Amino acid sequence: MGKNKVVVIACERSVNLDNELEGKHGANLKDVDNAYVVRVPCSGIIQPRMIEKAFKDGAEGVIAMGCQIGDCHFREGNKFCRERMLGMRPPVIKKTVPKNRLKGLWMSEVQVSSFKKRVRDFQDHVAVELEKEAANAS
Amino acid sequence: MFTKIVRAGQIVFLRIEDAFNKIFSSEQNILYYHGAMPNFFMWILFLSGLLLFAYYMPTLEGAYQSVEYITHKIPFGDMIRGIHRYAADAMIITVALHALRVYFTDRYRSYRIIAWYSGIALIFMMTLIGISGYILVWDERSYQIVIKVSEFLAAFPIWGQTWSHAFINDNSISNYTMSMALFLHTGTSFTLLVMLWIHYMRISRPVVNVTWALGCLLSGIILIFAGLMPATSGPEAVLIATPTYFDMDWFYLWIFPVMDYLGNIWTWVALAVVTLIAILLPEFVKSRDDEPATVNKDACVGCKLCAVDCPYEAIYMAPRTDGSKFKEIAIVIDARCAECGLCVGACNFDAIELPAHVSTDYMDKTRMILEATV
Repeated sequence: MGKNKVVVIACERSVNLDNELEGKHGANLKDVDNAYVVRVPCSGIIQPRMIEKAFKDGAEGVIAMGCQIGDCHFREGNKFCRERMLGMRPPVIKKTVPKNRLKGLWMSEVQVSSFKKRVRDFQDHVAVELEKEAANAS
Repeated sequence: MFTKIVRAGQIVFLRIEDAFNKIFSSEQNILYYHGAMPNFFMWILFLSGLLLFAYYMPTLEGAYQSVEYITHKIPFGDMIRGIHRYAADAMIITVALHALRVYFTDRYRSYRIIAWYSGIALIFMMTLIGISGYILVWDERSYQIVIKVSEFLAAFPIWGQTWSHAFINDNSISNYTMSMALFLHTGTSFTLLVMLWIHYMRISRPVVNVTWALGCLLSGIILIFAGLMPATSGPEAVLIATPTYFDMDWFYLWIFPVMDYLGNIWTWVALAVVTLIAILLPEFVKSRDDEPATVNKDACVGCKLCAVDCPYEAIYMAPRTDGSKFKEIAIVIDARCAECGLCVGACNFDAIELPAHVSTDYMDKTRMILEATV
């Protein structure tokens, strides 16, 4: 069974993925099956709608990734992104978004290997959550 | 080569910060308060300085004795003096950390240029405050500082003599010299606040305070130093004798060994060159093409979220005059825009976009990627 499809919307200044992406759109994360990366200038640019859209387009899990909280090149981007995902700062994420399969990840440039492990762990988490959802539905 | 060194410096900072995050958590990571720490020490200095000021006497006869009186007769006077001294040193150390950190993480140029220039001015002001503060003690070191500074000022072409005269404040060292030192020390300290206001310009919500826990930690460090290594005076200055005592404070008095080594003229030249390099440093890096955020008039509903979230005070709300049902519209001040996209993230209506990073493009890209996997 393949791993669950996960989209990582990643700040280009957080984990350095310059040499870690491959595939047709340059989006497939190396060494991790079914993990796709969209790079943005700062996690602060991530609109709640981008996350909603990613789920709608078939992602089973979404990770929003920025730099470590407290260290944002643009001062407050990761803080705002985190607060929006937690519903503490408008615009907030719609209730229809499966928040149990949404994750914020705050890592610095140097944490490439640890990042991949986190993504794999998240995929396992998504699998469990999806099973739960299927059980509830039936 | 140059960029490689900067990169390496950035990686070093990131690794240390990562380690600190693991130990202290990111909320209590002292390195994330590199700008707030000098501020914290500044308030300690104002407070302890106020207490010292109450008993200080700015005269040739009284200065040394009043400092001795503060140190030995006033309860905890020696602690207050020690706190004042070590907080000043700590301020310079944390300012250096702050400057290095913003430099290596590339957060000093372009839309942050005001902070960089005012930061250079702040360092000069701090050094002036430090040097004049060491004159106030009026021990042999103070006497040497007065002589050396007046000679150094006099060495400057054309205006040097005037400056030197203004600094001595009389034809020879007198009570007026002490008044001038006290004025330079306290007057510049308060001007520091004005310069700090400029330093914070265009920064929304600057981090100016450390957390309670860190404040306690930093105060503790200062107290330990003040208790274990009390600040003391050298022998009292006697105008007719040759002063010899000069206990070095490398954070504020570094210029005097430089003067001894280079001579006054070349010290001026060196100072000018170093300052010029600092001012020109932002010019060495090529800036990106400017593509500031643009507002789509038809989509903007005047909700203010982008203006609130902008971290560089680049967006303001203006009344609408085009007969729209919404009262206000967001306006971007192009010169201040950092092209970070925080406003885009704050907008639920696709009304504000970065031309180089359109939000719908990212959504399309996500869809394309996901479709390709089916």
